[in-house]
Amino acid sequence: MAKPSETGMEALHHLKSTDPPALLAPSPTLSQTARTASQHLFSCLKPYAPKSPFDQLLTDGFDAEQIWQQIDLLSQPLLSTLRRQVKHLEKHPEESKIVLKKENEFLDGERKILEEKETKRFDDDVDDDDMDMDMDEFDDEEEEEEGGRRESEKGESEDESGEMVEGKGGEGIEDKFLKIKELEEYLEEDEAREYGLDRKKKKGELKLEEEEEEEEEEEDEEEEDDDDDELDDEYEDAEENARYEDFFGAKKKTVPKRKSSLSNGSDEDSGLNDDGAVEKKGGLSTHEKQLEKLQSEIEQMEKANLEPKTWTMRGEVTAASRPKNSALEVDLDFEHNVRPAPVITEEITASIEDMIKQRIIEGRFDDIQKVSSLPSTAPKEVKQLDENKSKKGLAEVYEEEYIQKTNPAAAPISFSDEQKKEASILFKKLCLKLDALSHFHFAPKPVIEDMSIQANVPALAMEEIAPTAVSDAAMLAPEEVFSGKGDIKEEAEVTQAERKRRRAKKKRKFKAEAVKRMTKKARDNTALLNHNEGE
Amino acid sequence: MQSGEAPASMEVETSSNGLGTHIGSFLLPPKPKFEPLKAHEMSDGRVQFRKVSVPPHRYSPLKKAWMEIYTPIYEQMKIDIRMNLKARKVELKTRSDTPDVSNLQKCTDFVHAFMLGFDVIDAIALLRLDELYVESFEIKDVKTLRGEHLSRAIGRLSGKGGKTKFAIENATKTRIVIADTKIHILGSFQNIKIARDSLCSLILGSPAGKVYSKLRQVTARLAERF
Repeated sequence: MAKPSETGMEALHHLKSTDPPALLAPSPTLSQTARTASQHLFSCLKPYAPKSPFDQLLTDGFDAEQIWQQIDLLSQPLLSTLRRQVKHLEKHPEESKIVLKKENEFLDGERKILEEKETKRFDDDVDDDDMDMDMDEFDDEEEEEEGGRRESEKGESEDESGEMVEGKGGEGIEDKFLKIKELEEYLEEDEAREYGLDRKKKKGELKLEEEEEEEEEEEDEEEEDDDDDELDDEYEDAEENARYEDFFGAKKKTVPKRKSSLSNGSDEDSGLNDDGAVEKKGGLSTHEKQLEKLQSEIEQMEKANLEPKTWTMRGEVTAASRPKNSALEVDLDFEHNVRPAPVITEEITASIEDMIKQRIIEGRFDDIQKVSSLPSTAPKEVKQLDENKSKKGLAEVYEEEYIQKTNPAAAPISFSDEQKKEASILFKKLCLKLDALSHFHFAPKPVIEDMSIQANVPALAMEEIAPTAVSDAAMLAPEEVFSGKGDIKEEAEVTQAERKRRRAKKKRKFKAEAVKRMTKKARDNTALLNHNEGE
Repeated sequence: MQSGEAPASMEVETSSNGLGTHIGSFLLPPKPKFEPLKAHEMSDGRVQFRKVSVPPHRYSPLKKAWMEIYTPIYEQMKIDIRMNLKARKVELKTRSDTPDVSNLQKCTDFVHAFMLGFDVIDAIALLRLDELYVESFEIKDVKTLRGEHLSRAIGRLSGKGGKTKFAIENATKTRIVIADTKIHILGSFQNIKIARDSLCSLILGSPAGKVYSKLRQVTARLAERF
């Protein structure tokens, strides 16, 4: 633990040696050490400051804010004097060397103090309006004194990922830092010329406004924290305050271009966009270039849409509406509704032939079976015109008619040919017996059609003995009475064309029958001739 | 007379009762009830005659079928019939007990039909049925045909062995007599018409098949209707 009466230098050293995590936790001893250290620094700087109300930094009973204010009062004019001196040294570089040699040691310590003070001051100055000036001061100072350090900070401010890379770069370029300085100055001037200071200021302001909010929060946090957290705070502040965007507008990540020439590297380090100073054609940034490309694409597409489509995009194109032989160039694809014809190979033919052989062996042929059409209705009694002299007298005929009219049930049902029927039945019986004797396989009994003629007589009449009522309902269905298809026309209704058609049909039928008859006759004749000749 | 009184008093009738009708204060006699008049009486007791001449080709058939003709006429129709050989006429006469006036006419028609050429059994229908008629027409009424055409027409009408004629007869329930150029049809009015149409179409030249088909249609339609 440090004694309260130790000297300032000792206090500084002590502070330096403390672990940064230890600074996070507030401890009164560390605080006292810090105060003494600040006092020492203050007194060191006192002789160089042009005018300051305080001879000594008052720390007893004062809080952090007040101490800061005191430091600020001292350092403000001091900074301006220092700047003037630096500029002077710039113009006369030979003097700087002498200065450097002399006060190397002193400057080392001073440098650290300055850093700390600057960062502290920077925090305070955030709220002030003349931010830009401070920023410039900051820049200038960094440029002149701490090239490498600044670059590393800059790197951090740009991008944390590129931090290490930037740091390395900074180390590599430290040797030629003067050139870098000149380049950077030149670039800044150029930028200022191109963009105009207003733009730069605006950008800076915008960014600063954003940063202000962040930094205020951070400030509060920092102020709450112990004063001993200077190093960490400085580190963070440097990152957040010094941003590339503030100075040079929208940046473009150029990390992969690290290994290019110095100029490119410096461009990257400075964070300037490639297009910023190099390209002057219309003053386009990469973003603008992208936009232009997009725009041109859009225009192209719009133009294409307005024009009539190519024939491949149109539907239902005939040969006349497309260029000649254009269908050959295009790969057409369309549906085939028909199955493709089978490719006949030897295997297929062999398989078919095998099937045929098998079928022949089996004897299983797919012959068409004739469908026997059975009459669904009872065969109507077709009144045959009797061409013989009627045996009955006219009186009897009318008598029968009268009886049918008045007493239908009593009328005898007519049969076409009773004798014929009898004969056919007898013949069928005979055939059955003969078949049974002659063949080995079974022949079933012959079908004796029991043909019952349905007289078209009112049903009522058939059932009742004494018909009290006479109804028109006939026993036969209308289809049985007459079944005609299509348009049945009376003789009078038939048109001329219709008549011709009917006649032609009849002629055709008659011709066909005649031919059949002729062939049959010829066959019979030849058969007869052969028979006769044979005999 | 009684009959004269009745109509005069019919104008003013107030009430009627079994006894008589009242006309004011008069009492009229009851309505007379007459029996139907006999044929004899209708003609005021005079006898009615009909004479039917006999063509020469029907002379011998008449002689053969005389009894068949005579019996129904005399027995059932109560008409006197005799053959006037000299005049070659059949004479018919009403009797006193002839029931109906029309009997005479019927008998006359029957005999006349026989003379035309119809069979007795067919002609008898005339006696039995009221609505039978005989229609006669000539071929030349239908179409003027000469020579071979006429012969062919007649042949067409009859058909082979008379089958066309018989077909028409059977289909239409008529009896047809084709006597050279004269055609007689015996049957009911509608049937006569059908038969006549068929015959006319045959005369005009249509083939028999066509006539048959038409006949079939017509008769089928006829058969449905009662």
